[in-house]
Amino acid sequence: MTDSSQFLKYFDPRLFSAELRAKTKDGALKEMVELVAKGDGVRDKALLFEMLSRREQLGSTGIGNGVAIPHGRSLAVVDTKVVFARSTKGIPFESIDDQPAHLFFLIVAPPQDKRNEYLPLLGKIAELVQEKSARDALMAVEDWSGLRSVVSEALGEK
Amino acid sequence: MSTMSSTLSDKLDRIFRLQDLDIMLTEAQDPERKREEEEMGFRMGTIEKLTAARSRLLSQIDPRDLRLYERIAKRHKHAIVPVEDRTCLGCYMALPTSAVSLRTEPEQLLTCENCGRILYWLE
Repeated sequence: MTDSSQFLKYFDPRLFSAELRAKTKDGALKEMVELVAKGDGVRDKALLFEMLSRREQLGSTGIGNGVAIPHGRSLAVVDTKVVFARSTKGIPFESIDDQPAHLFFLIVAPPQDKRNEYLPLLGKIAELVQEKSARDALMAVEDWSGLRSVVSEALGEK
Repeated sequence: MSTMSSTLSDKLDRIFRLQDLDIMLTEAQDPERKREEEEMGFRMGTIEKLTAARSRLLSQIDPRDLRLYERIAKRHKHAIVPVEDRTCLGCYMALPTSAVSLRTEPEQLLTCENCGRILYWLE
């Protein structure tokens, strides 16, 4: 998964929020589950939320530097999906550095991952947000096309 | 809500929750998978809360459904698989028309005649 078109096929303009309303971790997960459900192929929002909450019980997906990447596999979804969301004020997410999360990538995939997409996608997103310049650019994104541009640039294709 | 309600949607809901949880538990206990996630920056703690949640969930599942699920899960990585275009996506065999007509049968979980996995429809 090296080019941005491959990467961006998992994103959807409907699965984008420039400003989350939530103020808590559970609230943020619920709001992002609602966003996922705006796309196609979501069978059960409650099941999806339950899976994501349980993954957080295993250990926070707040990886520090203001980034959280909630993720997991669930029968609740038919295809691999990515939500991008942001909170300017930040949301407490029990992150590894104890700082609030501002940038969120929620990744969900069905258990049967025929094309083995899920783990490489997770790794690519985790790698993308390691760069401060990418995080700064993502904080400045205003709309879907802005997100596309930032991702393309971060992947060195602009 | 009765914990042993026999509607198909209730049965599937509980079994779906169990498989989601089992996948998470399996991945959390896989050393290679755990290492990969930790290298990506994720925190991978202990599984006690998940095993406790599994125990609670088991008590809500009809014993017959649970026996069926556990029997299949011993043989296959995924006990529950989707059906797409009348094909079981576990073994990729076409389902007979009679199986498709049982799709809305309210009393029982439908299994693939070939591989035995529990089926659900994507459409």
